[in-house]
Amino acid sequence: MARGVNKAIIVGTLGQDPEVRYTANGGAVANISVATNESWRDKATGEAQERTEWHRIVMFGKLAEIAQQYLKKGSQAYFEGRIQTRKWQDQSGNDRYSTEIVANEMQMLGGRAGGGGGAPMESGGQSQSKPQSAAPETAPMDDGFDDIPF
Amino acid sequence: MGKGINKAVIVGTLGRDPEIRYSSSGSAVVNLSVATNESWKDRETGEAQERTEWHRIVIFGKLGEIASQYLKKGEQAYFEGRIKTSKWQDQSGNDRYTTEIVATEMQMLGRRPEQVS
Repeated sequence: MARGVNKAIIVGTLGQDPEVRYTANGGAVANISVATNESWRDKATGEAQERTEWHRIVMFGKLAEIAQQYLKKGSQAYFEGRIQTRKWQDQSGNDRYSTEIVANEMQMLGGRAGGGGGAPMESGGQSQSKPQSAAPETAPMDDGFDDIPF
Repeated sequence: MGKGINKAVIVGTLGRDPEIRYSSSGSAVVNLSVATNESWKDRETGEAQERTEWHRIVIFGKLGEIASQYLKKGEQAYFEGRIKTSKWQDQSGNDRYTTEIVATEMQMLGRRPEQVS
């Protein structure tokens, strides 16, 4: 049987600057928190509803360095990758699970006018994107993240 | 700015039969556990590595009923939907998060043609 397909595509807005660290062999690991919004109309009341979904996205190596250099809180970008759930133990020894998207493709969007097409913004260039006003101060997936043995 | 895109595509194998329950309004909620595999060669040792990824997939309503009726453990299917993370509290009151795929499209695979619809 085939291996199957495991693909996620996210176009969203960064809730905070990328967090980048380096592994023992020097490879970069970038963690970012990206918001997408869904809206719908409540069937019973007819009221407009909106919900922000926060995605935890991780990138490795060169792509992580590019993300660190060019993506900032409020930037909009396209990400493509696979969904991965990792098992870890909390301080009480309980099994916990964290799901994230391991992106292997990334394109910056919504940069300066005329700078589209996913071209990298110049260093220091200001993104025109605004953070979503609906975004909470901290992304929910921050919980216990520092405790995760990667 | 647009709402963004939140899309997941999974083609995988069911690890167990679908679990169906009904909401208070009587609509179906079906939970599936679907495996995909990835394989790669270890750069240092050259050994083949394999990892199974398990996806929690939930399907609502009519599509959920179809899934529970026709899908069984070991069968292969295509799912398309959005990624959703739910927050809940464990017994100690700690915040916990569970991520699943809310599928809005499903197709059975690996069946005789007359059974696929």
